[in-house]
Amino acid sequence: MTVIFGIAAVLAFGGALGVVLSQRTLYSALSLVLNMVSLAVLFLLLDAQFVAAVQIIVYAGAVMVLFVFIIALLSPGAEERVRPLELRMLFGGVLAAVFTVVIGRLALNGITVTNNGHFHGALGPFSPSLVDAHGQVQTLGEQLFTTYLLPFEVTSLLLLVAAVGAVYLSKHRRVSS
Amino acid sequence: MTGLFPGFLILSAAMFSVGAVGVLVRRNPLVVFMSIELMLNAANLALITYARYTHTMAGQVFALIVIAVAASEVVVGLALITGVYRSGHKLNLDELSEMSE
Repeated sequence: MTVIFGIAAVLAFGGALGVVLSQRTLYSALSLVLNMVSLAVLFLLLDAQFVAAVQIIVYAGAVMVLFVFIIALLSPGAEERVRPLELRMLFGGVLAAVFTVVIGRLALNGITVTNNGHFHGALGPFSPSLVDAHGQVQTLGEQLFTTYLLPFEVTSLLLLVAAVGAVYLSKHRRVSS
Repeated sequence: MTGLFPGFLILSAAMFSVGAVGVLVRRNPLVVFMSIELMLNAANLALITYARYTHTMAGQVFALIVIAVAASEVVVGLALITGVYRSGHKLNLDELSEMSE
């Protein structure tokens, strides 16, 4: 498990760096696909099989196809030259390192985990063995449609608004031009 | 607490930081959008890590909701970028900031 985590983590972080550092937009998009597939592997390691499948289908499938389609449509290829040794890239690198250390320290000390490495409070009822016995997707679905029904419905409203907004934006521009 | 928990969280923090710096440093709006996706993905990783190691289900449920939010954000954002491009502007955020005047 540690070996798989190491490989997937290196690939995910390399993909993340590729998104920011690539010269061409298409290479950024491909790096993002690498990042998302590696993240799906990490989700599998964390016993989240359904979310891993959704990650592949929605992100690496639908969202990235949309991105690549728009990149091919607009072809904004070499408009922007990024030189890794430029001042703002160096500044950004330092900033990213500082952010990582600060967020990492905050996450691993004090808020959820004590200094001994134990969680504050009791563990929840959904232990991996119980979830496995009941079925991963069944457990997730039951929770989604009972305890978390309100966020689910709000999300459906958000998707409706996004669809209407996208149609309006594309229609409106075409009429005005 | 098992061994890989800090590893997942550090990876999540590193991905979020790289995405945040990408939003701040890059000028191409498409790359900025991809960096935002990177940050949302890092948040998903942290959510699922906590869900797994604290034996709760909330993290996975909200990871699904974050994926839906990210998908709708991409749809609206790409529609906006296409609209800006078709109205004759260059895809450069430094120049697009003049539109607000």
